[in-house]
Amino acid sequence: MMQSVANPVVNEEVKTESDLADAAKIRYLSADNTVFSKTPGNMLSVKVAEEEHPTVYVHCSFPHTNKRIYLSIRTIENKEIGMIRSLDDFSKEMADLLEEQVQIRYFAPEITNVVAVKQEFGYSYWEAETTAGLCRFTVRDGGGNAKMVSDKRLLITDVDGNRFIIADLERLSDREYRMVEMCM
Amino acid sequence: MNLNFTLSEQDLQAAQRAVGEEIRYGVPADLSLTGQRMPGYFVVGQDKWAYVEHGKVLDSGLIAAMKDYKIVPLIGNSVLEAEEGGTKRILVRVTMQHAARYGYIAQILNDMSAQRRIRIFNNEVEPVCTKCGGSLVHGTRVCPRCMNKAAAFKRLFTVSKSHWKNMSLGLIVLLASSAVALVGPYLQKILINSSLQPPEGQDASKTIFFYVLGAMLLALVLGELFGIIRGRIMAGVSSGIAADLRKIVYDKLQNLSLGFLTSQRSGDIMNRITSDTDRIRHLIQEVCTTAIFQLIMLISASILLFNADWKLALVVLLPAPIVAYMHMYIWKYVLWKLFHKQWRVYDKANSFLHDVLSGIRVVKAFGKEDGEILKFRKYNSQFMDAAIKSEKLFSILSPITNYLIQLGQYLVLLIGCNMIIGKEMNLGELIQFSSYAGMIFGPIAWMMFMPRWVANAVISIDRVFSVIDEQPEVLDKEVSLKHDIKGTIAFNDVFFGYKSYEPVLKQITFDVKQGEMIGLVGHSGSGKSTLINLLSRFYDVTEGTIKIDGIDIRDIKQEDLRSQISVVLQETFLFSGTIMENIRYSKPDATQEEVIQAAKIANAHDFIINFPDGYDTKLEENGNNLSGGERQRLAIARAVMNNPRILILDEATASLDIDTEMAIQEALKRVTHNRTTIAIAHRLATLRNADRLLVLNKGEVAEVGTHRELMEKEGIYYNLINAQRDMSKQKTEQHKVEHAV
Repeated sequence: MMQSVANPVVNEEVKTESDLADAAKIRYLSADNTVFSKTPGNMLSVKVAEEEHPTVYVHCSFPHTNKRIYLSIRTIENKEIGMIRSLDDFSKEMADLLEEQVQIRYFAPEITNVVAVKQEFGYSYWEAETTAGLCRFTVRDGGGNAKMVSDKRLLITDVDGNRFIIADLERLSDREYRMVEMCM
Repeated sequence: MNLNFTLSEQDLQAAQRAVGEEIRYGVPADLSLTGQRMPGYFVVGQDKWAYVEHGKVLDSGLIAAMKDYKIVPLIGNSVLEAEEGGTKRILVRVTMQHAARYGYIAQILNDMSAQRRIRIFNNEVEPVCTKCGGSLVHGTRVCPRCMNKAAAFKRLFTVSKSHWKNMSLGLIVLLASSAVALVGPYLQKILINSSLQPPEGQDASKTIFFYVLGAMLLALVLGELFGIIRGRIMAGVSSGIAADLRKIVYDKLQNLSLGFLTSQRSGDIMNRITSDTDRIRHLIQEVCTTAIFQLIMLISASILLFNADWKLALVVLLPAPIVAYMHMYIWKYVLWKLFHKQWRVYDKANSFLHDVLSGIRVVKAFGKEDGEILKFRKYNSQFMDAAIKSEKLFSILSPITNYLIQLGQYLVLLIGCNMIIGKEMNLGELIQFSSYAGMIFGPIAWMMFMPRWVANAVISIDRVFSVIDEQPEVLDKEVSLKHDIKGTIAFNDVFFGYKSYEPVLKQITFDVKQGEMIGLVGHSGSGKSTLINLLSRFYDVTEGTIKIDGIDIRDIKQEDLRSQISVVLQETFLFSGTIMENIRYSKPDATQEEVIQAAKIANAHDFIINFPDGYDTKLEENGNNLSGGERQRLAIARAVMNNPRILILDEATASLDIDTEMAIQEALKRVTHNRTTIAIAHRLATLRNADRLLVLNKGEVAEVGTHRELMEKEGIYYNLINAQRDMSKQKTEQHKVEHAV
């Protein structure tokens, strides 16, 4: 009797999950059915089964938390061809290729050392060493231009729309933290 | 916008080798594909382009060999793409600083590739300071030459001029109250020396004792009285100046173009009117009361101290700055940090509360109450921990910092007592001296914090003045006409782009007869709403003309033009107030009967009359106590109330059900009779009453004609109609199946 009550519940849960997957109709791309290649023009092309797309773009579902999972492969018309569950499902060569495209699309140099932040007249003027070299940029105060995108990660957007990342606020020195904190 | 940067000698030579002698355009291409900032340039010659870096040509090509040049904005960077032999390629990669520049470059390359006349409307000049013409700090409106603290205060002073009488009165009272405060220690000296402990050989005088006591009492009362008067006057002055500023900012905002207003977040603009002006009010009040008072006290007390005994004065004054600096250091680096952390946790908890309480229905709908309680408990205990920590430290540090402040007193007593013993000073003098000494530490400590809040206030002054200085993009001419609109509209070769390198409307030419109803059709982003924005002159055309009754709309007074054009948008906005007030917004002197008539036309009368408060029903913020359809009908009533000569309906009936829409359509047909109407609708059935349809495609007029003509043409309109029919057929079938089940 107990079992007959418990079973439908379990079945229902399973069914709900598969219902969602059925309804979403996500087409997953895997190493078995997909081949990516780099075009001479530094772009990405894809062949999924018999379907070929000369130019595709790679979008991340979680650009701040994990850039290697749930990547959406999209056409020039912004239609989704399919999704990649994880780059680990592909060969290293192909994963590198995709990662390179992700790096091109999502550009936010990581700040390795905050040299100076001067605040004046509603703007803060930054000088920082980043993974892209020494950068000087201006950030408008307020308006979410410096915001936490996770517990420790700070995203800074300058007046032009360039993005910079401080990967771990806790790793900043006291001096750096004081300067950065003024802008948060 | 600068599209021709000066190249270094070696880059120039390399570029000339690659694209020929004449370099027509040269712009920075500052990002490599691997994500490094590069000092490279993208140059365009007569028929070739090239990318040069450190005097080397790293890439080049024929402009005509490619087409469809396009700047593609990615996340935090952009790439210039083009199509070559059927496939796309990246030409260069740039930071967002130069993205807009490449918008123009792409347009130029496309024109060159297609051998067309280069058509760039380079309206976007590199921003320069409106006052001195110098360049601004990149990406800001700050001119390093014009914007400094002194300049900000000077401007504030100009605005404050009208309040100079009260301000001067306040300052006089301020001076008087400082004088009274300084008399205190002097009276103490007399009291002690003449009555309490007279010098040897003198008798204590009772008369002087009572006189001095009376004088002290008087000083006390006067001091308080002056304080009250000063506070009242200065509160009046500072509030008056802040009100003036608010008025100027608000007036200016109403006159600024839609382009500026939409580029700013409404919260930000609101802050400028409220918090920033309030901060300025606070600054004026502080400067005119506390700051000047503290300064007077500091200077006078120092003079009096030196007068009394210069050596002792030095002993007191020398350590004062050090003590004050230590006091500031402890506050700034220890206590401030702690309190700041506490505020941050408090802030987080606050926004969490705000979030959950506004979304309480969602929380309850998903049964997540327990989860939310747990989350709040976490924030609560975090806040408690932070508060305990900072309060604990504060309770230890606060007495220490206060002790530091009082250190001077200790020194005075130490040396002063020695001097009394050595008969160099009497008790009265010591008391007077130590009182004056006590008066200088407060001002010094206070002034240590002054730069910080003055800087904050200057930011506010700057933010307020930046709005006041903003120039409206759409201006009336010196001689603008007043014109009674009949309703003929003519678009003649109109080009327009919010950014001129990205034209949203291209070569738009069409005529509308008086009283005609035109249906605007097209996919999202085809430029329909932009077209009506141009007709209302929220923006000016980049090229071409729009004429109403044969007169260029730029020659008609804006106020006059807009008062005769009514717009109903899909997203309605209703003001707080009654339904009555909202309907007669465009015609405040409308009679009650007229309001009812307008409501009747908009099919709103029936639901309004059913409300317990009828037309006096008070609307909540943005009419949140009404349904979407009801709000829409009120907006239509408001639009027809104005008796406009041109009526624009931008998806006005999209959120209504078919029956209501039909009823409104019928009513509108009556009201639009003899009025020119332009209607945008995705639901094409809405436009069945239209005399003609105008189909826009990618910013160009693709088809014009009646419904029948366009159906026969089997073009874009035909396809749109068929797509909608298929969709409604599917829905009906689905409906039938569901019913059958």
